Amino acid sequence: MAQNTPDDTLALLTRLSQKPGVQSTLVLARDTGAIVRTSGLISKSASANPNSTLPASSETSADNYTNTRKEGGIHNAEDVASMVWSFLTAAGDLVDGLDTEDEVKLLRLRTKKNELVIVPDSKYILVVIHDTPPA
Amino acid sequence: MDSTIQQRRDEILAKKAKLAELKRQRELRKEASARQSLAGSPSPDIAQPSPSRSDQRRDLESLISGLVGDRPSSTRPDSPAQRVTRPHSVISSGQLSSDNEAPIQYVPITGVDQGMQTLSIAPLATVFEFDAALKQQKEQEVITYSKGVQANIDDWQPQRSRGVGDSDSEGDQSPTSSPRSKRLSRRQKEREDEIRANLRKEIEEELKAVQQPAPEGGEVDGKENFPFKTLSNEELNAVENSDEFIGFVERSTKVLERALDQQLGYDILADYALGGENVDEEDEGYGSSGGKKGRRVKEIAQFWDERWSKKRMISDLGFSSKFPELVLASYTKNPSAPHDPDGLIQVWNLHMHDRPEYIFHAQSDILTAKFSPFHPNLIIGGAYSGQVLLWDTRAKSAPVQKTPLTGSGHTHPVYSLDIVGTQNANNIISCSTDGVVCGWTVDMLSQPQEFLELTSPPPAKTEDMAVTSIAFPQSDPTYFLAGTEEGSIYPCHRYDRAGAKAGVDSRVKYSGHAAPVMSLDFHPAKGQIDLGDLVLSASVDWSVKLWKVRPPAATGPANAAAPGATQVVSPILDIAREDLVYDVRWSPVKPSVFALVDGAGSLEVWDINVDVEVPVQKVSPSDNKRGAFATMPSGLGYMNRSLNKLAWERNEGKRVAVGGMDGVVTVFEVGQDLGGVETRSEEWSGVKRLVSRLEGVGEGVNGK
Repeated sequence: MAQNTPDDTLALLTRLSQKPGVQSTLVLARDTGAIVRTSGLISKSASANPNSTLPASSETSADNYTNTRKEGGIHNAEDVASMVWSFLTAAGDLVDGLDTEDEVKLLRLRTKKNELVIVPDSKYILVVIHDTPPA
Repeated sequence: MDSTIQQRRDEILAKKAKLAELKRQRELRKEASARQSLAGSPSPDIAQPSPSRSDQRRDLESLISGLVGDRPSSTRPDSPAQRVTRPHSVISSGQLSSDNEAPIQYVPITGVDQGMQTLSIAPLATVFEFDAALKQQKEQEVITYSKGVQANIDDWQPQRSRGVGDSDSEGDQSPTSSPRSKRLSRRQKEREDEIRANLRKEIEEELKAVQQPAPEGGEVDGKENFPFKTLSNEELNAVENSDEFIGFVERSTKVLERALDQQLGYDILADYALGGENVDEEDEGYGSSGGKKGRRVKEIAQFWDERWSKKRMISDLGFSSKFPELVLASYTKNPSAPHDPDGLIQVWNLHMHDRPEYIFHAQSDILTAKFSPFHPNLIIGGAYSGQVLLWDTRAKSAPVQKTPLTGSGHTHPVYSLDIVGTQNANNIISCSTDGVVCGWTVDMLSQPQEFLELTSPPPAKTEDMAVTSIAFPQSDPTYFLAGTEEGSIYPCHRYDRAGAKAGVDSRVKYSGHAAPVMSLDFHPAKGQIDLGDLVLSASVDWSVKLWKVRPPAATGPANAAAPGATQVVSPILDIAREDLVYDVRWSPVKPSVFALVDGAGSLEVWDINVDVEVPVQKVSPSDNKRGAFATMPSGLGYMNRSLNKLAWERNEGKRVAVGGMDGVVTVFEVGQDLGGVETRSEEWSGVKRLVSRLEGVGEGVNGK
């Protein structure tokens, strides 16, 4: 609503990735599944395809590494992307089956260790994996 | 990254150039061979069979493309079909796809490289993912392909493979193919017919295989082979500069922050049988207060933004009546950021702690602001420049309307404004420090609908009345009180009425404060007993006073006995505090409860039914958020804790927002006895009894 420049947009994402408890963030394009931004995730293809290393995201992920306490929590960006995608597709099918005019707006998936929050939008998907209070 | 793309472009360009070169050579050779065949001499030329071969190839290609053409994959020249029949090019095209195709292809799969070797259909399924621009680029190549001069196709295909793999394949092909084809051209033809037949069979089989899974393939493939790759810098830039992406980030990060903050508040998966350490402990630490349970005041949220709240002071606060979780805070300018707008309003959400829901700007410091009670999207504000501004939460951060700087409106700072009237007919009433009161309609801020100049009644030294605050009674939008810098409070009429002209009603003066009146508040009577004539005033003379105002209609006859004389009214209750009192507000639901904030940084909640001399609760905001003065030496701690404003949540009266010098907004929640919708009738009658008792005392003291 306010100042809408790419820098601010980036700042918003950076802020989000630096919130306490947030392990990783991931922005996907919805139509192609291309990974737009990541933080706190390692990229498998980084060595194979140098184009995929994002300067901005590497700095956010660097910030995020300090944020991330457990190393085991770092996943592979491509894996997470494809898994999120198939999960979202499944959820979309479910919603579609219930009511064809409905659509998925938010997915929160609690696991024993953490929580995935997925915000699907018309063009992009934002995914955050964050720690939850130990229950 | 740019350089690698550039490099690849260069490669492509180089190949194109080479292709052109080859075409030219072929033309030359054709001509030469034609001449030679005319001459009848046995030619060692290599090109002669090539046309026929290429014709056949072209047939094949067109067959392939005819068969495959209905699929978008025809945009890909090196479709698996060719790979099948021409293993020679398989390897090289495989090579190609890894270092040449990759940049062109929008979404290469990580698995593609290996997949190329086999008969994988992966590339087919993914081709339709091409980015529009790149696709165009691709299609241009296709145009050359389909339009292609006959000789092209042959050249074009191997060209691609030659380009990277074996650059000498041109020379390779010529010696091997030409003598053979020359001598065995007939046999070769037969063989090629055979090959063609085989090829057709293979293609058909393959097509079947491809097309069968195709209908459902979109999603099935999507799961396995969806190209989850990162974008190149250029693509990234394009994506991130698109409005869609910006809007998406704006929306989705808000949702996520709310989601994360909600998590912090309460874990819905909490299992109380486990552990037990998570059980909600009644913390009575800093920022919350002890005492009887119902009278608890607990801090629930603090809002401060590193970017925008820095070095600004809070000038006003307000809750939205439609969305009780939204709190707006207006700020003064940040003196060390001349490029930022002076005026700032941030709308905070109780469910999103680290970031404002909305940010609004103005050219000049905003001194007062509030949500329109009649329209959930509108926010009105008064500025130091004298402007009245209107923002819309559906619009951008700039005001959607503002009054002109010059002309008929205010020319002095507007410290006080209100929206009065009903849902269908309401006006903005603004008041500047030179005593000008203007009435505006929300639809048109270009010109005031009403203009009223308040002048001090005769005994005053100056004509202009320096108004610091105004307050409208709940019941009558035509009448209001104006608090002044010298400490007196005057009743004012918006319109002429019987016995009084519009403007200051000089017959009554509420006198008691010795310093500027910072705040005036009418009792928001909504209960069994009408207490709407009770007014609280706060002043920097370290006191809060409770007044019982004369009904405006009654002032006429009451004054008839002594015409011209000013009737001086004293407060019925005078509450001395230990510091400057900046703001005081009645609870919107509890008739006997009000809250005040002072220069020492305390929020005090009073219940006049319980005690009229000490507050029921007194709390200070915690230090959790670093305010503007966080880095200052602690000696100044006294100054920076000062609280300027407070606001009650209007619907339930359970929350109080306070803010001050350090720019931090703190929201407290009060216990059942001090907030919440259910009130007992004793509370109303208690206030009534107290007021009549106080009135009696007051009159006795005044010797009336």
